[in-house]
Amino acid sequence: MAAFVPPSRLQALKQLQCSIFQTSYNPQSLRTGAKYLRARLRGPSMVSYYPAHFNIPTIIRKYPELEMVDEDEEERLQDVQDRKKRGKGAPKKAKTAADSRRLTKRR
Amino acid sequence: MPNARVLRDIKARYGVRANEIARRAYLFVARNETLPPQIRHHAQLQLNTFGRYTRPTTVKNRCRESGKGRGIISEFGLSRFQFRKKALDGELPGVHKASW
Repeated sequence: MAAFVPPSRLQALKQLQCSIFQTSYNPQSLRTGAKYLRARLRGPSMVSYYPAHFNIPTIIRKYPELEMVDEDEEERLQDVQDRKKRGKGAPKKAKTAADSRRLTKRR
Repeated sequence: MPNARVLRDIKARYGVRANEIARRAYLFVARNETLPPQIRHHAQLQLNTFGRYTRPTTVKNRCRESGKGRGIISEFGLSRFQFRKKALDGELPGVHKASW
């Protein structure tokens, strides 16, 4: 027949066990939040999910010292300027509520 | 050019990476039951101040090819249709159409 062991003795044993094997002594099983520190960082792998995408404006912006020119963009801006000169530009933005009411179509 | 949803997702991914360590530290404090409740509550309030694009749950794996959000085969990161197209073109090594 097994001898009766008081709980305090069992607790002391557990404590000693923890100190010997260098585990944390947590008799009430409290949440310590250790899992948030233990988990690997997910950011770096998240960032590399999509393949790298390059286009002309980003490359121009990346190397301003090379002074490259995006010809398509220049042409577009020139077209906009020309259209404005002929009075075919985009209409002015409404500044007040009354303006926006005047500009909307009546049905 | 990737579509707007993909751009938003990329933004979220960079936000997560930039704020991950700080968020983890606050999470550790907020979820730690051995710390006084007042400090934990304060840490939780700090967590709430982080923006939308710093939470890892905001990130969604979309199709790498078409940007579609649904029907993604995660092993390839492609939507089911893009997967089929690429597989039939032989662009996915080791994938071939089943036939028996």
